[in-house]
Amino acid sequence: MTSNRLLNAYTWAFLIFMFAPLLLMVLSSFNDISPPSVTEWHGFTTKWYRFFWMPEAELRADPVLRVLDRGRFIGCFGNSLSVAAIVVPLALLMGLSGAVMLTRWQSRANGLLWWVLLSPMLAPGIVLGLSALVFWGRLGVNAGLFTIIMAQATFVAGYPMLVLMARLQRQPIELEEAARDLGASALRSFFRITLPFLAPALISAGVISFMASLENYNTTMFAKGGACTFATEIGAMARNPNGHPPVINAVGTVIILLTVSVALGHALLKRREATKGP
Amino acid sequence: MHGQDVRLETVEITYPNGFRAVQPTDLTIEAGEFFSILGPSGCGKTTLLRAVSGFVEPSRGRVLIGGADMAGKTPNQRPTALIFQNLALFPLMSVRDNVAFGLEARGVPKAQRHARAEELLALVALADQAGKKPTELSGGQRQRVAIARALAVEPAVLLLDEPLSALDLKLRQHMRAELRAIQRKTGVTFIYITHDQGEALAMSDRIAVMNAGRIEQVGPCDEVYSRPDTAFVASFVGEVNRLPGTVSRSAEGLAVIDTALGPITALNPKALPDGAQAFVFVRPEALSLAPQPGDNRITARVERRDLEGPFITLHLRSDPAGVALAAQMANVGLPVAPGALVELGFAPQTAIALPEGAMARTGTEELAAE
Repeated sequence: MTSNRLLNAYTWAFLIFMFAPLLLMVLSSFNDISPPSVTEWHGFTTKWYRFFWMPEAELRADPVLRVLDRGRFIGCFGNSLSVAAIVVPLALLMGLSGAVMLTRWQSRANGLLWWVLLSPMLAPGIVLGLSALVFWGRLGVNAGLFTIIMAQATFVAGYPMLVLMARLQRQPIELEEAARDLGASALRSFFRITLPFLAPALISAGVISFMASLENYNTTMFAKGGACTFATEIGAMARNPNGHPPVINAVGTVIILLTVSVALGHALLKRREATKGP
Repeated sequence: MHGQDVRLETVEITYPNGFRAVQPTDLTIEAGEFFSILGPSGCGKTTLLRAVSGFVEPSRGRVLIGGADMAGKTPNQRPTALIFQNLALFPLMSVRDNVAFGLEARGVPKAQRHARAEELLALVALADQAGKKPTELSGGQRQRVAIARALAVEPAVLLLDEPLSALDLKLRQHMRAELRAIQRKTGVTFIYITHDQGEALAMSDRIAVMNAGRIEQVGPCDEVYSRPDTAFVASFVGEVNRLPGTVSRSAEGLAVIDTALGPITALNPKALPDGAQAFVFVRPEALSLAPQPGDNRITARVERRDLEGPFITLHLRSDPAGVALAAQMANVGLPVAPGALVELGFAPQTAIALPEGAMARTGTEELAAE
């Protein structure tokens, strides 16, 4: 009995520690006060959201929003998307080759190779960012979006590799052997049999890689030089000694909403697939 | 389509970890033959099959198909098609695309390869299922798709790796007949791997019995069943009673062996000399409750009577030696109750004396001990 109660208490504490800060963040994103607060309610507002598209005149009239550089913020977000647009395909390609090699190439070096390929994921982000900076600096490339892309791709590639490996291990090796036996070249067998089987996993891996690239802070921070991304810009705003503007809370709320709806959509698709199947 | 012969010349297969899966083997399989390789799991029969299909390269020796040396040829360059134990149908393709896959790989235009796929599906009586996915079919239907897919590439040799093992008994029996019919119709050489002796006996022209990487006997089914070469073949192919003893007298192809049941006269194909240790093997169906003059005779007590419809299996214990025996006979209403003392007989020509050797783990001792 006691152990049951203890478990209950623990579960509740766990949920509260996890979700209470999120709840407070969402609440304060609708509170008309800066820096954000939930203890003093100053009335409901959506202006922290509307900041991104409100007319210039309204922006200038607001004492808090007027000091924020909207153009720069949107520019940094654009940078994040450009970085992700290159990092995601790069990571998928590298992760796919790593996964195929580790699951299909039986070698004694596989164990070692696994650690080598995954080490960027486990290495401190600072080290990755710094080493990219130093390496490309030596080659005469200045820190900027390019070094961000290179630094991110090294560790983001680990996520697709793990996801695709899990999927590849579930595909019977006989399918590829059957294709070869029926006369297909190794390349045709890969494109006709293996790749279609991997398609759902490739989509999941792409989404995970996109999120990892978008939200990455520490590696990007060290590799960015003078450039900015969405994450580093929010970081800069949050470090304001007078407290950050609730605009950040609004952004956070939107991200939560997006994440939850993507997860829900995925679950719904899965369920529909399950009921449609034989 | 026409079959080609397969020749193995001192083929030996050793895995990188040092395990020798196949001992030096010579074997010739005739063109258009239904040939089975029968053996317990782990005996090397699948490895041998993979050496023919090209997934395993022999460590020594040569594989020849239609007289051509296959050394260095990858599976997609060999005139073979393999049907996998788990069938390995492509789950994301329709049945039609599965069957047409081999032609697609050969660059045959879509309309043409689909027409050919429909033809083959008609051959295996699945013409109306072409649009479905493999998962929507029953086990037997999937089986037939795998056969059609393999035949589509017009192989000279079709290799089958225990393809019926996942099916239930009824379907398995039905598929045996169907495989045999397809083989006759196409004339392709079939090499069939199985651990099920019933399957091998029912379908094959010839059988090779394999144990521990070595082929113990090759021959027509009847010969392998009634004239086994080794103790292993006798005990693996079919049920058998085994009586250990010593040869006391041998003459004119027959020998008298002193066993726990007394002297027994049996065939002596290996010409065992007097004093040699031997096993006498007698099939349960050779034991009769109505001994004829000249028969070996045994007195035994019935321990159990298993009714199996058309025939009866009696589990007996010899009296007084207490050796477990099994006898199988047509169910013609004989009133044999457990506990009864009966006299059994079997003709010397139905018993065979062989040198001692490795035994299969499916002998009568287990059957009787149940």
